[in-house]
Amino acid sequence: MPREAEPSQNEKDFILKAVREGHRLDGRALDQFRQLDLKFGDQYGIADVTLGKTRILTKVTAEVTVPYTDRPFDGIFTITTELSPMASPAFEVNRPTETEVLLSRLLEKTVRRSNALDTESLCLVAGQKCWSIRVDLHVLSHDGNLIDASCLAVVAALRHFRKPDTSMEGDTLTVYTPAEREPVPLSWLHSPFCITFSFFGTISIGEDGEEKDIWLLDTTLLEEQLRVSSCTISMNKHGEICQVAKPGGAPVEAVTVLQCSSLALQKVKDLSDFVDQKLAEDSKHRNKGGLLAELSAENAR
Amino acid sequence: MFLRVICSPQLPASSSQIGRKNLIWVESNGGRYIPAVGDLVIGTVHHSAADFFYVTLSDYTSNATLPQLAFEMASKKNRPQLHSGDLVYARVSLANRHMDPELECVSPSTGKAEGLGPLSEGMLYSISLGMARRLLMRKSAEEGKVVVLDELGSAGLAFETAVGRNGKMWVNSKDMKTVLVVGRAVTETDEKSLAVEQQKKLVRKLVKEMA
Amino acid sequence: MPLDTSTYNLALLRVDGRRWNELRQQGNTKIQCIITGPNERDASKNTSSSASTAPTAGGAGATLAVSIMIAPFATVDRKRRGRNDKRVQEMQTTIACGLAAAVQGQAYGPRSTIHIALNVLSQDGSLLAGLINAASLALVDAGVPMTDYLVACTAGSTSSYAAADEAADPLLDLNTQEEQELPFLTLATLGATDKVVAMVCESRVQLTRLEGMMATAADGCKAARDFLDGVVRDKGELMVQEGAIGRGEVVSSMDLD
Repeated sequence: MPREAEPSQNEKDFILKAVREGHRLDGRALDQFRQLDLKFGDQYGIADVTLGKTRILTKVTAEVTVPYTDRPFDGIFTITTELSPMASPAFEVNRPTETEVLLSRLLEKTVRRSNALDTESLCLVAGQKCWSIRVDLHVLSHDGNLIDASCLAVVAALRHFRKPDTSMEGDTLTVYTPAEREPVPLSWLHSPFCITFSFFGTISIGEDGEEKDIWLLDTTLLEEQLRVSSCTISMNKHGEICQVAKPGGAPVEAVTVLQCSSLALQKVKDLSDFVDQKLAEDSKHRNKGGLLAELSAENAR
Repeated sequence: MFLRVICSPQLPASSSQIGRKNLIWVESNGGRYIPAVGDLVIGTVHHSAADFFYVTLSDYTSNATLPQLAFEMASKKNRPQLHSGDLVYARVSLANRHMDPELECVSPSTGKAEGLGPLSEGMLYSISLGMARRLLMRKSAEEGKVVVLDELGSAGLAFETAVGRNGKMWVNSKDMKTVLVVGRAVTETDEKSLAVEQQKKLVRKLVKEMA
Repeated sequence: MPLDTSTYNLALLRVDGRRWNELRQQGNTKIQCIITGPNERDASKNTSSSASTAPTAGGAGATLAVSIMIAPFATVDRKRRGRNDKRVQEMQTTIACGLAAAVQGQAYGPRSTIHIALNVLSQDGSLLAGLINAASLALVDAGVPMTDYLVACTAGSTSSYAAADEAADPLLDLNTQEEQELPFLTLATLGATDKVVAMVCESRVQLTRLEGMMATAADGCKAARDFLDGVVRDKGELMVQEGAIGRGEVVSSMDLD
């Protein structure tokens, strides 16, 4: 199995020493994110997220299919992740690594299980026809913090996506092309975001030898390889936790976890505002000359 | 990505370089490192076997071999003890297309280390191949248009560096902050392809921040 | 040579009708754990890719390989689960990484692997917590050196996420029905400390509710630790009575904690 190149002992020692003294290689503060950028494609439902050197591309597609027999009133919503060998030597095609399994599970729990997308609204004819929404996520470049970046990309792409408009007249279902009717956005309930905290052991503060956990936000790949444990908290801006996962690793004080969760709320609000702003910019850009307003006025029934 | 055309001879002179004098090198900033005889590289020891150390030079490639006796003053009884994860500064002594490259940490003609050998402490930075090449030039300021290291030195920082042609740079100093500043200055120069004036400005900014 | 092969049945217990903070005395979650090894790490590691592994002591110690089998008759719907179920794989990883924090792996060589096979015979809530406790207990019984028990417990909160009432009561150790209805989390701590080794929460819950749930779960972990410790001590006593071990030996090893 190909492995990620292990960082050398010199790098390990230096980074741990620097982190203990509160410094990071790129000069960021311990709780600072890297430069975050979000671009939407020409089509609806394409989001390209860059976070430092990490780059993630997501595309949303929709098609009409038959719903699952045990859930006749729900549409189908799937998220697939692909970590190609291009992004890191540790990834292989057709053999999901642990990173990939954990990533897709986290996205599943954060976006799907938290009901961010109203799957009931995807139902067209109960038990017969429904929309199947599929999110394809590709990691183009891996420089750490895949989880936070992926979650942001998925949420942004889904919120940007427009599915074709449909109508029911008697027994006939009509799906309109974008030329006939302006596509409609998905029924979106809330926007969850992941914030991953990486722990680097403890330092003693003060003279009474009190131990304090050291943690970083938005770690690079190198930092990620050296962390002793991590904790991912997913939340929306209303302060609802959608998922918390700390998959083993070195123990951390319970108080630290609580502190992290309140800081996560703050960061989630920042990310949420960032996506809102980018979506607004995009719709403004698309709506040059008020063409959209004109079309939607015509289509209003 | 930018291309450079470089006229020989800028390579560190050694016996193996004869015959490469009148070559023109076309270098790009991307791609992966392909070993060539005489290149100075920084590798990470992967593991050691009976007679060799296996050294990783870059991702996606197989390990290079470094004979345990290819060190200064090394003998069967007195050979360096390198462990997995240690850094080593070495010269490529053999590079055939379909074979794993071979390294040495001693000059075969003089038997001296000439600065090669294990690198302890410090920090390793990844830089682009083009940058590594520019830093390794004899007159890196005039021909390579990199002045960051000179500027940092004249700003009063004390540090030592080693540059590997495989896109690695090792920086060490007594002061941890100096290492961080040197690393940031070089990587930023590399990533943003800064011109000479911009490099000077960056160094001034970083030194000011540090103080 | 395998160090020890031991089998443990762990029934996490309680008939409902209990108070909010009572652990189940006889629940319907039943888990069997088998420890094999340490063996030499096999080169054909890739073939057994269904197990999740985690190195102990920063790669210098033995590796833990955890595999979970959920019997088709363990749940009500009797659905057969695929080997590559991502939910199971995630649990395997959580258990392997969690135990790696407690096991003193440097007692074995870096090329050795301890296999932990968990069989779920009957499933009635708090599955992950039960698996962690079972694995922890089995490791102790197998004589694998550990800093402390890794104990886990679930805690939930009455009223669903939408209701923002502050009066919601925390609940301890949930069964399947409660798990489906209420938000809950699984917390694993190292022994009786407040140090969180693993924490998994899969449901929507208000941030303000988290602290109460974590405190409840931590109390549950302490109770679980005492319970596990009791089981181990009882077994030790029994072994002495049967003459399997000399008295002095037991006393010295029991005095450690």
